[in-house]
Amino acid sequence: MQHATIEKSIPLMAILTLILVSIGGIVEIVPLFFIKSTIEKVDGMRPYTPLELKGRDIYIREGCYNCHSQMIRPFRDEAARYGHYSLAAESMYDHPFQWGSKRTGPDLARIGGKYSNEWHQAHMLKPQNVVPESVMPAYPWLQKAALKYDDVDVRMQALSKVGVPYSPEQIANAKQDLAAQAKAGGNDPGLAKRYGNKVPQDDFDGKPDQITELDALLAYLQMLGTLVDFSSYQAQTR
Amino acid sequence: MADNKGVETTGHQWDDDEGYPLQEFNNPLPKWWLYTFYATIIWSFIYWVLYPAWPSANGFTKGVLGWSMHTEFKEDMAAVQVQQKAFNDQMERLSLQEIAKDNKLLQYAISGGKAVFGDYCAPCHGTGGIGVKTGGFPTLADDDWLFGGNLETIHETISGGRVGQMPAHLKSAGGNFSDAQVDDLTSYVLSLTGQSKDAAANQRGDALFHGDAGCKGCHGDKGNGSLKGTVDGSPLPPIGAPNLTDAIWLYGGDRQTVRDSIAKGRSGKMPAWSKESKEVGKKLDPLALKQVTIYVHSLGGGQ
Ligand code: HEC
Ligand code: HEC
Ligand code: HEC
Repeated sequence: MQHATIEKSIPLMAILTLILVSIGGIVEIVPLFFIKSTIEKVDGMRPYTPLELKGRDIYIREGCYNCHSQMIRPFRDEAARYGHYSLAAESMYDHPFQWGSKRTGPDLARIGGKYSNEWHQAHMLKPQNVVPESVMPAYPWLQKAALKYDDVDVRMQALSKVGVPYSPEQIANAKQDLAAQAKAGGNDPGLAKRYGNKVPQDDFDGKPDQITELDALLAYLQMLGTLVDFSSYQAQTR
Repeated sequence: MADNKGVETTGHQWDDDEGYPLQEFNNPLPKWWLYTFYATIIWSFIYWVLYPAWPSANGFTKGVLGWSMHTEFKEDMAAVQVQQKAFNDQMERLSLQEIAKDNKLLQYAISGGKAVFGDYCAPCHGTGGIGVKTGGFPTLADDDWLFGGNLETIHETISGGRVGQMPAHLKSAGGNFSDAQVDDLTSYVLSLTGQSKDAAANQRGDALFHGDAGCKGCHGDKGNGSLKGTVDGSPLPPIGAPNLTDAIWLYGGDRQTVRDSIAKGRSGKMPAWSKESKEVGKKLDPLALKQVTIYVHSLGGGQ
């Protein structure tokens, strides 16, 4: 075919471009779905609890990802600071994932359990109160805003459509489970049965009589990177 | 016709009313650019052979060098182990006291501990342990200790974590005392640092402190804390009740904050960092624990 023929016909050029780009895409992307080492088998991964899921939505709403990545790369300095490098399996229930390389603040992939709830409360209220040189903005409204969660079951339903294995039982009990997890010293057997007994149940925001957006955000932060038990994980060398 | 300096044109020609037509020249690319471009294409073939490149149905081409990010990472980690082995072996074998006596090891531990402290402790205790603005996170650079400032106690604190338990006293917060009584207790506590001059209130508070409210059982007869204080002549259990007489406050020494401490109670939480701890979260290996212990001890208040 003459170069001039292609160049002068926009539809023809569009179709040929599409075919070419698709070949590139198919060759690069499709095999990843089948390569076993892409998503390694690990113990401990579970879908987010309803409270954590709402917290994750707030994390995205507030744009925390603009300054924080959730991906520890396999380099010595990162492992020394943040812990074991991130595994693909650890973000298998993330839609969208929170990887990235933009780090104005530290990586948060393993922030779970690093600090107490009290520290997080103080930090979110005004980061400079605990870290004087911080450039992180304050988020004082999170502790004041009541958490709206009447749509949490619908959110879970939507996620189950894209492959997050929420059971009908988990979806049906979403609102109770959410409220149970935000209770101080909570010990709800239903929540433990549906999400495992390692789920921390706590009054995350320091306001025992209210479920606020901070409850949700902190429940999410406090579980990040804590699910996989690395003492039993064997890296597949590839 | 404009002068095209011998360069070939594509034959297209626009806008020649003025006698100066717009033409499309077919200038060749500079040679250096073109050959660099060819070289990158050739390099890509070499790269495919040497390094992991093409996905396939059941894996990917591994490349003849056998390079992988994860192997490189492992080798990196192993190399550091080798570099630091001489020091680390000694650190592991020796007790905290012995390390502190060996100047070389001490310097090594302090510089390692400083890095650990910056990553994991400074957000709560401030850079260099100087404390933070928000109440509830103790300064570590002074000699006012809650649990103790010798090497063993610091190590125990860091490994196992601590939770301070100060009960709530106001009725509405789950305690047994009225608003007026909590006010009196606040006055008494403030009087210990000379901040309350209301003698009658101080006296009522004093009676409660040493009587019904049971404060002395944790803060000591003199209110000087579980570490230094005594109750009826015997030492107190190491529960981290602060010294109320030294004007160094964990939460704050103004009337409102002191009243809040007494009314609603407090329970500051220091996370546990030893791998043996059941708590979820970041943990430190024994070597890092020793290093950071020695670093904290070196901050100024070590005993
Ligand atoms: C403008 C950039 C910026 C934004 C936006 C931002 N942060 Fe940060 N964050 C930082 C910086 C810088 C630090 C390090 C200093 C500090 O601890 O405050 C930090 C630290 C943190 C830490 C402590 C990490 C550690 O390991 O010590 C947490 C947790 C955190 N941020 C959570 C959040 C959350 C949640 C949001 C969204 C609500 C957010 N950040 C938004 C910049 C940002
Ligand atoms: C989430 C915040 C937080 C982090 C992170 C943290 N600490 Fe603490 N630490 C505390 C609190 C709160 C206390 C006081 C506990 C109490 O109120 O009884 C404390 C107490 C201590 C004490 C006892 C002080 C005394 O007066 O006896 C030492 C020592 C200490 N921390 C060292 C460390 C070291 C070393 C690290 C890092 C490995 C660290 N802390 C990380 C919050 C934290
Ligand atoms: C069960 C032991 C216990 C009893 C009883 C107790 N305290 Fe405490 N108190 C503590 C501990 C432990 C802390 C430190 C809390 C922390 O680490 O978060 C504390 C903290 C305080 C503080 C805050 C000090 C500061 O530096 O900010 C004040 C004030 C105080 N107590 C006063 C009292 C008074 C008054 C009473 C009696 C009404 C009392 N306490 C009874 C254990 C006790």
